[in-house]
Amino acid sequence: MKHKSPLQRLALSFVLGALLLFASGHIDELRAYQGAQAAIFAIAIASIVLLTGYSGQISLGHGALMAIGGYASVIAQLHWHLPYPLAFIVGTAIGALAGFILGITAARLRGPYLAGTTLALAVGLPSLANQFKILGGEQGITVDVGTAPTWIGKEFSQYRWFFWVAVTVALAVFWLLRNLLSTRYGRRWRAVRSNPTAAALSGIDVGRAKVLAFTLSSAVAGLAGSLFAMLLGLVAPLVFTLTLSFTLVTGAVLAGVSNLGGSIVGAVVLVAIPELSGSIASRLGGSEKVTSNLPGVITGVLLILTVLFAPNGPKLPHRKR
Amino acid sequence: MAIFFNTILIGLSSGAIYSLMSLALVLVWRSTRVVNFAVAGQAILSTYLGYEAMNRLHNYWLSLPVAVIAGALISALVEALVMRPLAKRTKGTPVEAIAPVIATLGVLGLIRSLAGMIWGNTFLQYTSPLSSKGFTIGHTTIPFSPQNAAIVIGSVVVLTIFAAIFKFTRLGLSLRAASFQPEISRLSGVRVDRVRTIGWAFAGAAGAVAGALVTPTMFLSPNSLDLLLVTGFVAAVIGGLESLIGAVVGGLVLGLGFAFILQYIGSSIIFSAAFLILIAVLLIRPQGFFGARSSREA
Amino acid sequence: MLASRRTKGGIFAAATIAVAALVASALPAHAETGVTSSTIKLGITVPLTGAAAPGYNKIPGAMKAYFDYVNANGGVNGRKIQLVVKDDGYSPATTLSVTNDLILKDKVFALVGTLGTANNEATTRLINSKSVPRLFVNTGFSGFADMKKYPTTFPLFPSYATEAKAMGKYLAENFAGKKVALIYQDDDFGLDAIKGFTTAGTSFVAKIPYSAFSQVDPTTAPKWVTALVAAQADTVIMFGVTSATAVLAGAIYKAGLLGKIQMILGSVGSDGTTLKGLLGPLAPALAGTISASFLPSASDATDEYITLFKSINAQYNAGAVFDNNILTGMNTAMMTVQALRAAGTSPTRASLIKAIETKGSTWASASLSPILYSATSHVGYTGYWFGKLGADGNAVSADGPGKYTLYSTDSGNGPVVKAAATRPAMPAKGLPTN
Repeated sequence: MKHKSPLQRLALSFVLGALLLFASGHIDELRAYQGAQAAIFAIAIASIVLLTGYSGQISLGHGALMAIGGYASVIAQLHWHLPYPLAFIVGTAIGALAGFILGITAARLRGPYLAGTTLALAVGLPSLANQFKILGGEQGITVDVGTAPTWIGKEFSQYRWFFWVAVTVALAVFWLLRNLLSTRYGRRWRAVRSNPTAAALSGIDVGRAKVLAFTLSSAVAGLAGSLFAMLLGLVAPLVFTLTLSFTLVTGAVLAGVSNLGGSIVGAVVLVAIPELSGSIASRLGGSEKVTSNLPGVITGVLLILTVLFAPNGPKLPHRKR
Repeated sequence: MAIFFNTILIGLSSGAIYSLMSLALVLVWRSTRVVNFAVAGQAILSTYLGYEAMNRLHNYWLSLPVAVIAGALISALVEALVMRPLAKRTKGTPVEAIAPVIATLGVLGLIRSLAGMIWGNTFLQYTSPLSSKGFTIGHTTIPFSPQNAAIVIGSVVVLTIFAAIFKFTRLGLSLRAASFQPEISRLSGVRVDRVRTIGWAFAGAAGAVAGALVTPTMFLSPNSLDLLLVTGFVAAVIGGLESLIGAVVGGLVLGLGFAFILQYIGSSIIFSAAFLILIAVLLIRPQGFFGARSSREA
Repeated sequence: MLASRRTKGGIFAAATIAVAALVASALPAHAETGVTSSTIKLGITVPLTGAAAPGYNKIPGAMKAYFDYVNANGGVNGRKIQLVVKDDGYSPATTLSVTNDLILKDKVFALVGTLGTANNEATTRLINSKSVPRLFVNTGFSGFADMKKYPTTFPLFPSYATEAKAMGKYLAENFAGKKVALIYQDDDFGLDAIKGFTTAGTSFVAKIPYSAFSQVDPTTAPKWVTALVAAQADTVIMFGVTSATAVLAGAIYKAGLLGKIQMILGSVGSDGTTLKGLLGPLAPALAGTISASFLPSASDATDEYITLFKSINAQYNAGAVFDNNILTGMNTAMMTVQALRAAGTSPTRASLIKAIETKGSTWASASLSPILYSATSHVGYTGYWFGKLGADGNAVSADGPGKYTLYSTDSGNGPVVKAAATRPAMPAKGLPTN
């Protein structure tokens, strides 16, 4: 297996970034938005790869963690008047804090019990927006980060700017995670996932490793949530439903849950499937009952088939599980 | 006082509803160690079929076995066509635990969309001859109706039948063995694959009972059992996924918890209430009330 | 005079340019997005699938039916109206994605009837940046009338604050001395209403907030009833969505309190057909319930708009059952057609907005309330009438068929005016001639 040094990976990221920047000048606004959406999903999926693929903890509530980051970053912009890059950091930090608390609580929980807890969190958390005036209630809080700052010198339409921001952040996050996962932390997490007893016997502090994984994963999810708030220009309870949490886990499985690079494929698939289902449905036509539900049928079938035939995600060369 | 007593009744009647769904989830877990989110989908589809039977036969009691058989069959099909091949392909890989969750989510979405295609995204009514109006005691009407009584009886019946099967029959023993130690069971002559399918069929039947008993108290639409799936799952976890009695206890705990929180604290935290109750239980017993503490890998 | 060749060439060139300029100015200006010589393309986002879909998913079909009717009778200034419908599953993130498609890919001229408060909030940035008209949004959130924040958006329905004030006056006149309780959704929807009730000076024996969606839990409604009984309320106002109204009615019925507690419903949760569907065997729970509306009753056989819409529904909407959702959709479609007509023979987005501001208040609609659009106000309807729900789930005016008493006011501190509702006559065959 090819081991790249952090420096090599950095160079690769820069090349990739430059290519994407070039490409972004040539794609239309709609694709720019979808590209930004995919980049943000990729970050969120990466957070699940870290948590589930590496440390073996299941979360059905990452939508709630995105919500925490999203709301924190919007409040930071509107109430503390922070510029949005700083607000993103706030979102990441608050996400980390939430993850730390959740991680400590969840450290003792196994598989389905953890799944149940995170599920309950996903259902319960967004409704808190109605509790506290500052959280905006059902219709949410809007925010507009504008477009590229003037010192960049180049003109961007808002969606192209979002694309560039999201992709840059995604590249940075992937670079950091890839490096992190190839250190002893990554090895510890994998050990904890495959056999916690053996891991404990070989001196790994299982509890601490799990909490660390949860904290980092939630930080990344919080960052994804902040970017998502930027993209939509809105945070509201309806944005962060249980369905979002399920979608993220689905993306992680499509990625091959322990495959960081697969996150990008997973994200692109998540954005592409509704498009695909929608266009197939409108081509096939039929009564309204049929056309409006056809995308759901196609999505369900695609999902089942993909999980059945490629449960470990895209087969990338030279990649050891 | 009256409010306290009423709150208990409200909690018991909704708790019985959660118990039915949670029983279905625990049944699947005990047979194949998979969390099956498609239970809501199978329940909805079997309820729609029961609804069709109801419209043709004009007899609610006859429509129930139709729903139950439909539920069992659909569930068995899902297991045989999707879950079994998936288990074979993901054995030993990192996705082993989580891929089935995604697969069942896919099945849930598929069934819901199919139901919308066939019956439309609209509200239908599955009528039961039992009244949903509360029993009257003297001058007061209590928040507990004949339909609620049927739900409670239904939970007890489902619990008793399946607990008996698990405990006293060979099939039950095979089910338990096949889920814990499939290899050894196979060596001992247990038809593991077939037994697992039967386990899923049982779960489908239980889910169908849930759908057919609960739907007359509300309305039928492709999404009408969504919330029940969530509360059913939380109830199952509270009870400890290993035990059918736990499933019922979990349902009652959640129902009573909601009713009391709603009455004495307020509706604003009702959704957070599920999380709070769950965390409160799991902090004390991380495996739920009746879950086993052993190192059995979940 | 010696006309040199150069001078002759110069004169010739100037003449050519002058003629070309004349010809060019006579050519039609560059066509607006979504408008061709034969079509106008409009877009709408609604929940077609998902938990919020039932009821609302009938609206696009109803709008299309009315548009088809108009198209069959000459269209709008010779152009046929196309309606592109997108399902957003009530999720704001999806609303933005599909609205991106509508504006950037389908290139619609304008959005009409888009549903949901958070859903519309999500697309505001996009439509503001491109100045896309967003007509007759399907939500009662009064904020959308703010012209500074939403310059191209036109609400149509009265705001919840307006409704609460109207209700306050109705209560003061008909329920003085009664013990009135209020159940409301605890977000801006409900708080808008509380603001209105406070202005109206209504006092309640109990105010019961509930969180959106908590009504689907079986423990919620019985708890409301317990609170009502504890406060000894004999009247309850329900300011919530239809599913909340249904569980309240069911719980009151199941508690044997039918006839002892009078229910008064806000317009959002009062669609009788949906309520009947939700209640099923408990439908008797609706007996005697009073509800607020601004459109005529869907069962009013004397109303010319209802008769017209029913026949269009039968002919163009493939067997859909006529109810308030269909009525709402067709009414919105009729307003849309008039807006498009008034936008001129070469409509632009700007001319559409101007048309509504300058002429919108004169247009025909089924509503019993006047329309207030002007250059300084994007407020549409402003008034309500109160009726009792009948056996078929439709409200009936206490004044008799075809007669409605309207309570109209504003969202602020203006007085509530009570008057017999008058409405401009419907254009012949329901085809606008504005």
